[in-house]
Amino acid sequence: MKRILLVISVLTLCLGLFAACEKSTPDPTTDTNGNQQSDTQQTDSQKETEDKSSSSDKQKITVWAWDPNFNIAIMNEAAAIYQETHDNVEFEIVEMAKADVEQKLHTTLASKMTEGLPDIVLIEDYNSQKYLQSYPGAFADLTDKINYDDFAPYKVELMTVDSRVYGVPFDSGVSGFFYRSDILEEAGYSADDLNNITWDRLIEIGKDVKAKTGKAILSFDKADGGLMRIMLNSSGLWYFDAEGNITVSNNEALKEAMETYKKILDADIIIPTAGWNEWVAAFNNGDAASVISGCWIVGSVKAATDQSGKWAAAPVPRLNYDKSINASNLGGSSWYILEGAQNKDLAIDFMNEVFGGNVDFYQKILVNNGAVASYLPAIEGSAYSAADEFFGGQAVFADMGKWMNEIPSINYGLYTYEADAAIIANLENYLSGAKTVEEALQDAEAQLKSQIQ
Amino acid sequence: MERKLKKYGLIFISVAMILLALFMFYPVLYSFYLSLTSTKLGKTDFVWFDNYRRIVTDPLFWTALKNTFQILLIQVPVMLFLALILASILNDKSIKFRGLFRTALFLPAVTSLIAYTILFKMLFSYTGLLNTTLLRINLISEPIEWMSNPVTAKAVLIIAMIWRWTGYNMVFYLSGMQNISEDIYEAASIDGASKIKSFFLITLPLLKPMILFTTIMSTIGTLQLFDEPMNLSQGGVTAATIGPSNSLLTLSVYIYNLCFKYVPNFGYGATVAYVIVVLIGILSFLQFRVGATDDEKEARKRNKQKSREKRRA
Repeated sequence: MKRILLVISVLTLCLGLFAACEKSTPDPTTDTNGNQQSDTQQTDSQKETEDKSSSSDKQKITVWAWDPNFNIAIMNEAAAIYQETHDNVEFEIVEMAKADVEQKLHTTLASKMTEGLPDIVLIEDYNSQKYLQSYPGAFADLTDKINYDDFAPYKVELMTVDSRVYGVPFDSGVSGFFYRSDILEEAGYSADDLNNITWDRLIEIGKDVKAKTGKAILSFDKADGGLMRIMLNSSGLWYFDAEGNITVSNNEALKEAMETYKKILDADIIIPTAGWNEWVAAFNNGDAASVISGCWIVGSVKAATDQSGKWAAAPVPRLNYDKSINASNLGGSSWYILEGAQNKDLAIDFMNEVFGGNVDFYQKILVNNGAVASYLPAIEGSAYSAADEFFGGQAVFADMGKWMNEIPSINYGLYTYEADAAIIANLENYLSGAKTVEEALQDAEAQLKSQIQ
Repeated sequence: MERKLKKYGLIFISVAMILLALFMFYPVLYSFYLSLTSTKLGKTDFVWFDNYRRIVTDPLFWTALKNTFQILLIQVPVMLFLALILASILNDKSIKFRGLFRTALFLPAVTSLIAYTILFKMLFSYTGLLNTTLLRINLISEPIEWMSNPVTAKAVLIIAMIWRWTGYNMVFYLSGMQNISEDIYEAASIDGASKIKSFFLITLPLLKPMILFTTIMSTIGTLQLFDEPMNLSQGGVTAATIGPSNSLLTLSVYIYNLCFKYVPNFGYGATVAYVIVVLIGILSFLQFRVGATDDEKEARKRNKQKSREKRRA
């Protein structure tokens, strides 16, 4: 009995210690903040109370995002603009890998702890419904706070749950067919020949280019479902319908997309790659004559400065499926504000002022980072209509703005990645000839059904 | 006095015990509770054994299980056999620069898991060193798509793991061999036993405990395989599947996907984790049984006989 009592008392003692540790950690940080604060403002730092009041004057917005050259750089720019008029606001912009942001957000939200969460977080559009519906109440409802008429409608649709809108639409994934005009000209194709083509036509051109120049038309990663999503999105269809029912085995566009994958691979017109780096390297070093992807790829295309003036952009190819058009989307992400954030209202004000109203800001990030935003008034700005030397004087961003408005609006639903995995995993059986396209799609549907139960 | 000592002893171990309970036993028990729930779309339902029922009909789980066992059954024996051979070669005192070779073979074990995975990915890429070399010496006429074919992708993973872990296991064997007396080998050679014969009849049996240990450790390690497949398949970021046709999807990667890539279901993820625990338990038990020394086997037989006799009585 005594022993048990002893164990219990030691246990409580230790727990107390732990609790004390946890409690005491935030205090020093606020103290140092307060001290720094008083130093810069050169007020008397005699009393702790004064320190505390000044530290509450100075508010901090924490942001989580990935990609230092793109999202982080843009957020830094936005922060600098906001600080010009609000000098009492500090920013802490935390850079993490995309997978880490997602993982951290999942674990923190699932544990229902609001401590340690940022005020603003970047979420990929394919994932937005997953977060919004998995953690109801975790994100701030911005329906009445932001003028969503200013944003591309398809982006707003992605962040809507029960007609409430969460989040601030950010970069668009409007897709383009970016090609080496010099190589295609050598094979006898002018810009008009490449405008508004179908995937079948692209394969023909690819064969011709290979025969005449020896170059592959695309670098291609079989494990990447990106092109399939571009094909689907251009048709206004997805792996699910608007009600969230699976549309895989009965999806005409998807079936054609699978067949197109096989045709591309059978035609021997691509460089097979595995992973992002190899894929980018193939067009950067001139082995692949084009790339079909979201507009965010432009930054990587331009990394090969020796190819300046040798590129051009055309709308993405379309499928033969009758509703498919020459406009699509791949990826893209948006900012979300956490409901439990310490400085929620400040974060909303910041997002509203910069991302929801500053046209100049959008011109700047377009020029500096190649970010095509989904903020519609920005597209009228001067940077969008400027000719781009890299693309041989073509006003590529004005073109992309045009394509963006045509992107069919679809609801990605909750399970894009489950569906993507199921289809790509069963694609191999079809490519190798072991199964027909219908059988492969049925297998994929079965796998998907078991995944989402 | 003794009571007092006991009390102090308890106080001293209590800190460790509490930490262990907090960070080891509690998570173990809690994750079992989790495995009986389904946490989806903000709701947590207690579903009893539904998750375990679901796992039986989950094609991806079976793919992951199959992959894990394919890797386990090829990689672990090949690696341990190589390690044994290398260890017995390097244990030979007549070899020059033994220290250098030992260090060189052990060095892969200190590289970071991610670094060596990326290194192998580069070596085996379409335009990588291996393909270029094979093309130059005219062994192949077209580059091999190592990482786009399910079979070769798995082979690359196994080769990489063998490279990384052989030296590590070799060190265990080397230390085990140092404990085998030279006299036995000398006696054997006087009796006319060849080197190979004394390897199979002396080294192997005497290393049995060490072999058992490394087998269990490697089995556990492979069942928990995560970093290598995750990175060979670009962390599943651009790739929809883990390796071509999910050929590199292991159980641990599947758990990660269930919790972080797909609509999170921590309950179902915990269920898969518990399946790994049970598998490790079964495999370790089997290995102990197979690897038991003759004395232990006899002791067990005797115990059984005794209990049988008791029952009869």
